[in-house]
Amino acid sequence: MLTLQILANGLVLGGLYACIAAGFSLVWGVLNVINILHGSFIVLGGYLAFFAYVKLGIHPFVSILIAAPIFFVLGYALQRALINRMIAAPVLLTLSLTFGLDLMLSNGMLYAFTADFKKLTLDPPLGVVSLGSIVLPVDRLFAMLLALALTGLLYLVLSRSRIGRAIVAVRMDREAAALMGVNVKHIYAMTFGLGALMAGASGPLLAMIFPISPLSGPVYLGKAFVICVLGGLGSVPGAMIGGLALGVVESFGALWFGPEHSVTLSFTLLILMLLFRPTGLLGRTGYA
Amino acid sequence: MTRTPIRRALGAVGLLAFGILGAGPCAVLAQDIIRVGAPLPLTGPLAPDAAKQQQGYDLWAETANKAGGVNVGGKRMKVEIVYVDYQSNTPRAVQATEKLITQDKVNFLFSPFGSGAAKAASAVSEKYEVPTIAATASSEQVYDQGYKYLFGTFTPNPTLTEPLSDMVRKNAAGVQRVAILARNDLFPLAIAQEMEKSAKKRGMNVVYFERYPIGTLDYSATLAQMKAQAPHWIFATGYINDLVTMKKQMGDLKIDAPVVTMITAPAFKEFIDASGKGSENITTAAWWHPAARYKGKDVFGTTENYNKLFTAKYKIDPDYSPASASAAGAILQMGIERAGSIERRKVRDAIAAINEMTFWGPVKFGPTGQITSLEPPVIQIQGGKHVAIYPASIKQGDLRLGVK
Repeated sequence: MLTLQILANGLVLGGLYACIAAGFSLVWGVLNVINILHGSFIVLGGYLAFFAYVKLGIHPFVSILIAAPIFFVLGYALQRALINRMIAAPVLLTLSLTFGLDLMLSNGMLYAFTADFKKLTLDPPLGVVSLGSIVLPVDRLFAMLLALALTGLLYLVLSRSRIGRAIVAVRMDREAAALMGVNVKHIYAMTFGLGALMAGASGPLLAMIFPISPLSGPVYLGKAFVICVLGGLGSVPGAMIGGLALGVVESFGALWFGPEHSVTLSFTLLILMLLFRPTGLLGRTGYA
Repeated sequence: MTRTPIRRALGAVGLLAFGILGAGPCAVLAQDIIRVGAPLPLTGPLAPDAAKQQQGYDLWAETANKAGGVNVGGKRMKVEIVYVDYQSNTPRAVQATEKLITQDKVNFLFSPFGSGAAKAASAVSEKYEVPTIAATASSEQVYDQGYKYLFGTFTPNPTLTEPLSDMVRKNAAGVQRVAILARNDLFPLAIAQEMEKSAKKRGMNVVYFERYPIGTLDYSATLAQMKAQAPHWIFATGYINDLVTMKKQMGDLKIDAPVVTMITAPAFKEFIDASGKGSENITTAAWWHPAARYKGKDVFGTTENYNKLFTAKYKIDPDYSPASASAAGAILQMGIERAGSIERRKVRDAIAAINEMTFWGPVKFGPTGQITSLEPPVIQIQGGKHVAIYPASIKQGDLRLGVK
């Protein structure tokens, strides 16, 4: 029974992880930009949900709808105005740029919201559902379903819509896409905007579960890195598989080897993946 | 050609300004000010704890200066606290300590946050023979190095777990199975190990003992495993972020127990705010509680006066953490005033000899430099408020059982 409970916990956690990583993976895969800002965007989305709930009584699920367009515009503008200027530069330079922007954003949040941890506590709480002896908190379950829906939606946009196909085309061959009449700069900005949207939208989901602090950005970012490597870089199904795998591995790692070794286990897995299957579980390079 | 005279003029103005603003007053001020170095994790995961420390130090400096300054052999000297942010990174705390001594030329030091960093930095302050007061280090391992210049305002860890265990034994005879979950960090782990000893000593059965790594986001697997052991008493250690997350996830997994103790966060109001009804009946132990009524001989005088000053400045009630920082300042001031000098060796000897009542409680240091005279209170959250349930002298209520 314990095994089933832990598997359920792991899957629910994995759904959240997938949501954290999808946008990050998209930006890395398409733009070849390691967006260090990603973690802080999630945190900012969390603050938005926190204040919307505390001051205006807006439920975090509704906040997602508010956060999504805001972050999309923010991401689009940032890419258009700043990152596009460096897009052809080596990856380390764009990394430094987003690192610098991240320092500004996280210190700005530190200034505005202080370092105290804030917790979005729903009143009344959503409670738990019991399936036999397995207990699952409703907020996590909802958050996981929404995370899966968001990730699925992103997949649909990329595979079905015109703009999505253009994003994939640019990822595969920038010059050829440009020759076919694709406005590469616009597509880059759209991609970054989508990545920011995913981060901003996962903020309210995570805010219901974890305390919010201006300094938790790097924690989310670290998870996103591992998930990208596990699942394969730059693919939505990859982020999904990687997220679920990480959630389950961490949970069983805690059960079998004790909580202090669950992270060790996931990083060991990361190293093994890099050694033997550097393209990730799905084994595809490139975005599709 | 025309630039040269302008440059010269600018240079002259600059030199003049340096002369007036830089060298002149500083040379005078340096003699009238006691500079105390305080390396703190102002950013990074420990930032909320550092903010509390800073409040305590600032309040001491303000109170001491308002009273005219520290009386050094008849001469009044103001105090100034020099903060350095070590970004929650212990090796940087050691560097910051050395920088404060060698470059900022501080007279005295407060330790960085927590037992681990305080221990690491104490090697540096000992080398330079700078009297240092640790306001947040309780683990005995910090003080067992034979250092002469390190003093601590927290009593050793067993003084927290022993009264708690006695109380549970007395009030809840059915409590047999104890589960302990500790943050893998110097203090949280040390206190968890003390708890294990205290429980075993009283014939309780420790059915679960695990440690979780710093920066853990999800406890659900660990807690599910703990739940399977059906513990009567859950004892969890960590800092505020850890314990708020953990308590939420305990609720999510429907884990309840007659007694749930968490150290250190529940002593802070932020914990109650963040955990809501989930915080009800959680017990914790701390080194001080505002309900105490000590009549001290230090700059703050009574505990009531300290509470009043703190609430007036910060609009919240003090908890043990900033109070300990203020106590560190008050004790340092007492040492300097008794030594009648800011000579480090004399101040060190004066601090070592203190045996006096303060707003923080009776202050007397043992041979290792750690305070031995406090009787730390046990606190329970009842009706969304902190209630002292031990010792008898400050008791406001009785232990209640049942945490959901």
